Amino acid sequence: MTHVSETPKHRASLGRQVLPYAMLTPAVLVTLAIVFFPMLQTAWMSLHEYVLFRPNDFTWVGLDNFKAALNDEVFWISLKHTIIWMCTTIPAQLLLGLVTALLLNQEFPWRPVARALIIIPWALPSVVIALMWVWIYDSNYGIANEFLLRMGLIQQAIPWLADPDTALASIILTLTWQGFPFFAVMILAGLQSIPQSYYEAASIDGASAWRQFWHITLPGISGVMMTAVLLRMIWVANSFDVIFVMTGGGPGYATHTLPLYAFIKARTNLDFGYGSAIAVLFTLLLMVVVVFYLKRTGKAVS
Amino acid sequence: MKFKTLTGIASTLALCAGMASADSTVRFWYHFDNADNPMDALVAAFEEANPDITVEAENIPWNSYYDQLYTAVIGGNAPDAAMVKMFAQPRLVEMGALAPIDDWLADWDGADGLQDNLIELTKGPDGQQYYLPVQYVVLYLYYRPDMFEELGLSVPTTCDEFRETAKALTRDTDGDGQTDVYGFGFRGAKGGHDHWATFTLGAEGVSLTEGLTSEAGVAGTQFVADLFQQDGVFPPSAPNDGFQEIIGAFKAGKTAMTIHHIGSANGMVEALGDNVSAAPVPECGGGRWTAFGDESTAVLSSAEDPEAAWKWITFLSTEGNNTMFNEATGQLPVVKADSESWTLHPQRFVQATVDSLPFAEMLPNSSATADFVNTAWPTNMQRVLTGDIEPAEMNAKIEELFAE
Repeated sequence: MTHVSETPKHRASLGRQVLPYAMLTPAVLVTLAIVFFPMLQTAWMSLHEYVLFRPNDFTWVGLDNFKAALNDEVFWISLKHTIIWMCTTIPAQLLLGLVTALLLNQEFPWRPVARALIIIPWALPSVVIALMWVWIYDSNYGIANEFLLRMGLIQQAIPWLADPDTALASIILTLTWQGFPFFAVMILAGLQSIPQSYYEAASIDGASAWRQFWHITLPGISGVMMTAVLLRMIWVANSFDVIFVMTGGGPGYATHTLPLYAFIKARTNLDFGYGSAIAVLFTLLLMVVVVFYLKRTGKAVS
Repeated sequence: MKFKTLTGIASTLALCAGMASADSTVRFWYHFDNADNPMDALVAAFEEANPDITVEAENIPWNSYYDQLYTAVIGGNAPDAAMVKMFAQPRLVEMGALAPIDDWLADWDGADGLQDNLIELTKGPDGQQYYLPVQYVVLYLYYRPDMFEELGLSVPTTCDEFRETAKALTRDTDGDGQTDVYGFGFRGAKGGHDHWATFTLGAEGVSLTEGLTSEAGVAGTQFVADLFQQDGVFPPSAPNDGFQEIIGAFKAGKTAMTIHHIGSANGMVEALGDNVSAAPVPECGGGRWTAFGDESTAVLSSAEDPEAAWKWITFLSTEGNNTMFNEATGQLPVVKADSESWTLHPQRFVQATVDSLPFAEMLPNSSATADFVNTAWPTNMQRVLTGDIEPAEMNAKIEELFAE
């Protein structure tokens, strides 16, 4: 009897042990194939001299590509721009997103329409956004110059994207506009999860609107904000499509960022060894930032 | 074997379904700026004459044409035939991506009908023939005769005259304190090396491979920088301006001169009527330099059916078809008979092209040329224009690139 009853039990427990792995395997395999394999390949390529138009020449050079990158003026220019790019775009998007979310959380007529409209910049393809803003910034026909000239704020049309002093800032503004709806929607969802009773209790205790925001709203959405900032940090750091379409990294190196530089090296100059080395260096730098951020904010939120 | 069996089954099925089946397919890549391109008509005409061949022609955007072509070659997904320019040939040959066409060419009747010397001009770096010319252009100076007349100016023939003319043409026409017309539309983005080269490479002893860092070489780049920074005769957006911008600004009357080829002549006439004309580029530093804009077709070495691909590209370079092809691109036919009956462009633009031919040159037959065109020139020129580096540094970087 015992012998008979034990076998199905044993089978069931074995099934329970194996089944999760069996079900996860396809996903893991796909991830390995499309994420980890190319990652390893990139790391492997970065240790070789590999210029695509000399397909038979794949020579081991060790860390030479990395040394070359660290001695490359353009690498440092691009790194500086990447840091400016991340340190301004993300806070600007967060702030704008927060304000938008707070506004959209108020009761007003046509609120659902406003909530739907706000998502448009986020829903548009990057290339469309880039081309649209190229026209806005155009020094001959652009609406930005037209508007500022008519307002009397500038005396001469400014070539926003052709002037190295304004090019990066102009692109940052574009990306802020593109990315803030993501924050707005995420924060709005967070706002709606805060029970109304907290605010009622606070106002009975005589807390001002600011106090309510500081002690109820902000802690209530901090978890959402942390996740959103993390995601956005990785996306913004890696995004170069908007820059590529708007200026191609120019004028000169004025809008070069590291991912764009790696892309140009690999795809336009076909120097895959060097391009991969830049990509690997950037991945390592980004990993440091992400780990540091997670440690700090993890503590703060908990 | 498996693939063949599958293809066999597929064709049988197609036949059963009463559909037309083809024995081989030629995948062809090309780039046309013209939105209403007649490639479909050419393909239909070819397929009618060659019912056993299907042509899949794909228009690839110019800006990423070579990026896509190179990566497709490496990725093993190259087209069977493609439109190609001379500057890409050394690199494509080095990649082993092209099929030599010498034997086919020797047997082809149409070869004698091509313009003289074109086959010789397009020879590969290793002496073999890979390219079959399909169209050509020569860059010249576009100008606005009405503006010249209004200001009593004549077409500049030297760089000094050019500078004075450009300064006179740069003006505020409505008195609002804003410059409304700029003397010259300079192309500072990718593809603008031909503008810079006109001002720089005309000088004696200066070419991309030698003399670029000499006094005369640096003076050319300095001349371009001065036109922008001191004289302000280029629109402020010049460092980023590409093909669309320079042509758009000229058509809109924002610029009074620019350099391009006959390909944009009809569009300009449509916008400006008789108020646009053309002349050879000015002489700079004692000589003239303008670009011979070539375009050929080639069979890729990975072509599934190279014979079919060859048939298709020769089709494009034969009498009548070559006219049709060039009507779409707005360039000039390579077939003699088609040139003689050519009526697509107003005579003044054909004349400017013919007058420029004697001093038209091509970029060096070197694998560094692609990097020069795609990144080294635009980046360094933009840095010079925006005051980031000195002209001498730009010339040194270019010389270094070609010396590698």
